[in-house]
Amino acid sequence: MGMQRSYKCERVIERLHKKVNRQVVASLEACVHCGMCTDQCHYVLANPGDVTYMPSYKADKLRKFFKAHIDWTGRTFPWWVSARSLYTDQELEELKDTVFGKCTNCRRCSINCPMGVDMATFNRMARGLLVSVGVMPEGVAVVAKDQWEIGNQMGVLREDYIDTLTWMEEELQAEHNDPAIKIPIDKMDCDVVYSINPREVKYDPRTIADAALIFHVAGENWTMASEGWDMTNFGLFNGDDDLGGAVARRCYEATENLRGKKLVISECGHGYRSTRCEGQNWGQKDIPFAMESSVITMLRYIKEGRIKVDKTTNTEPVTYHDSCNNARSCGMTEEPRELLNLVCTDFREMHPNRAENFCCTGGGGAMSMSEYTPRRLKSAAVKAAQLKATGAKCVVTSCHNCVDGLTDLIRHYELGMKVTQLVNLVANALIIPERRHAAAVGGLEGYKILLADDEPDTLAYFETVLADHGAQVILATDGDEALDLARKEKPDLITLDLSMPGRDGGEVFEILRKDPVLSQTKVCIITGKPELRRLIYDRPVPPPEGYLTKPVSEDDLMLNVRKVLEHTHHES
Amino acid sequence: METIVLAGKTFEVDEDGFLQNPELWDDEVAKAFAPLEGITEMTDEHWNVVHYIRDYYLKFGVAPMIRKLCKETGCNLKKIYELFPSGPAKGACKIAGLPKPTGCV
Repeated sequence: MGMQRSYKCERVIERLHKKVNRQVVASLEACVHCGMCTDQCHYVLANPGDVTYMPSYKADKLRKFFKAHIDWTGRTFPWWVSARSLYTDQELEELKDTVFGKCTNCRRCSINCPMGVDMATFNRMARGLLVSVGVMPEGVAVVAKDQWEIGNQMGVLREDYIDTLTWMEEELQAEHNDPAIKIPIDKMDCDVVYSINPREVKYDPRTIADAALIFHVAGENWTMASEGWDMTNFGLFNGDDDLGGAVARRCYEATENLRGKKLVISECGHGYRSTRCEGQNWGQKDIPFAMESSVITMLRYIKEGRIKVDKTTNTEPVTYHDSCNNARSCGMTEEPRELLNLVCTDFREMHPNRAENFCCTGGGGAMSMSEYTPRRLKSAAVKAAQLKATGAKCVVTSCHNCVDGLTDLIRHYELGMKVTQLVNLVANALIIPERRHAAAVGGLEGYKILLADDEPDTLAYFETVLADHGAQVILATDGDEALDLARKEKPDLITLDLSMPGRDGGEVFEILRKDPVLSQTKVCIITGKPELRRLIYDRPVPPPEGYLTKPVSEDDLMLNVRKVLEHTHHES
Repeated sequence: METIVLAGKTFEVDEDGFLQNPELWDDEVAKAFAPLEGITEMTDEHWNVVHYIRDYYLKFGVAPMIRKLCKETGCNLKKIYELFPSGPAKGACKIAGLPKPTGCV
């Protein structure tokens, strides 16, 4: 054709060939311009006269150069199918304005397309093409750089992160007058590794404290990681799969290194989708643990009776805003509602809702692109009308991006509503069990504890600590002796070492659990070899009440023993 | 570029209302920003927080962590939210003349 193409356009076209996959091709080919998507988009609804917001119009901007380079019709009859390649940097800037500034990748048009065209997928791909040549909003560039270089999207340093967690722990202990409330960092072999959005640690750690209180009351064996704790992922927003993979891998590896059983993801829509659904593909990594949204964790605790809540503490009328990533892309629609109905007295549905809900207008990284804020707020008229119609005083959402998007639009449209998250409501409704008063010394009077361990030093150490606090202590140095003494003395608690001569701790544990008289006896496993956990957990009996890894500090021993015993006390 | 008139002077701000040239900031600007962030009167406690954020920004080029802010000003978290209803990131940082914080805020 003879037309000169700019360096950046050359690179974009080159990369296009590498990025198209079946899903993108199908989406770009399948559109029949039926117009079903038009009224699904909040930008279109708020700007009825402006065709540049129509999903099919936006898609055609990408389709033009896709056709010019990949589709045979475009290569054969370019004039007939409007195929046109990219030539100038100005065209790239225009494309940026569309793919970053006129679409939040919310996927509402995608799920309403009869042809299955997934607008958000190729819009994300187009963002990735532009990012690869450095064409992107500045805010997106800054955040992506922090995630690459510092390991979290707000550039929070390790010592500041740990200092903040310690601070929240101290605040919780002071508020509830309970030194047993902990925010454990890098604890091995936990059932839950909790990951968060850096926004929580940098600006508003109240959600961290709320979650910690819930974990504490549930008696969860949990921890937070000192590295790889950021579950957000700007790779989803900027279309850069390499960034997406690197960020997700860090998070997975942190859980793996701590041998955590489950990675729990705090309330963040894009973080949940990236970590739970997309990251394994981007990062090319299989993971050996389960993943769960904290919404589901909290609901589970209530259903399993691990926490109790009093919904009359949350009486203000609330409505729920479904985050696009949670509801439309991950199918998490019912759990938050079930949970809301358990912790609030007046939940009002917003319409439309669930997968049909409208975007908060801050999605797809829009909160980091100030240049488009006026457009964002104008398009938010749709969301504002939805919110207003509910008559609620407070809108609940399980996404930090939505929190900020909604806060902005509520202010702009003067709706006077509060924005909050489920973790805040659950913590507020949480019934905190009264503690048996456990002073620094004492607190174990009246309890009989059997210690089974083959190392005399360990036995002597535990005996001293527990007896000092008032417990009656019995000692066994192997498995058979432990069983004999258990039958004879009927202790309230048995601590079991795993590797002992004769019957090992695992065998003793199973025999105890199957013994009709002793099956209810509380058991705390104390081992120097956490890799032997399978000796316990592979057995077809209920798990032990406590689990400690040697070396055990005096504080840890006391906290765990008290916790296990108090639990017994409450149930009987 | 948007502009805003504060204390009789015109300032360039970004589309979220944050000062475009943070070096033009002074106490008068802060006073003029305050009512926009839901603050009726700047008390000594407000100034204490605002000046800490300002100094930190001038030294390190970023907004301080909420942890540092609370520790150094002696305000607890609850107090910060009482003083700045729109929060530390958007409210207090804007009044202190910082550019918009980056990331999901």
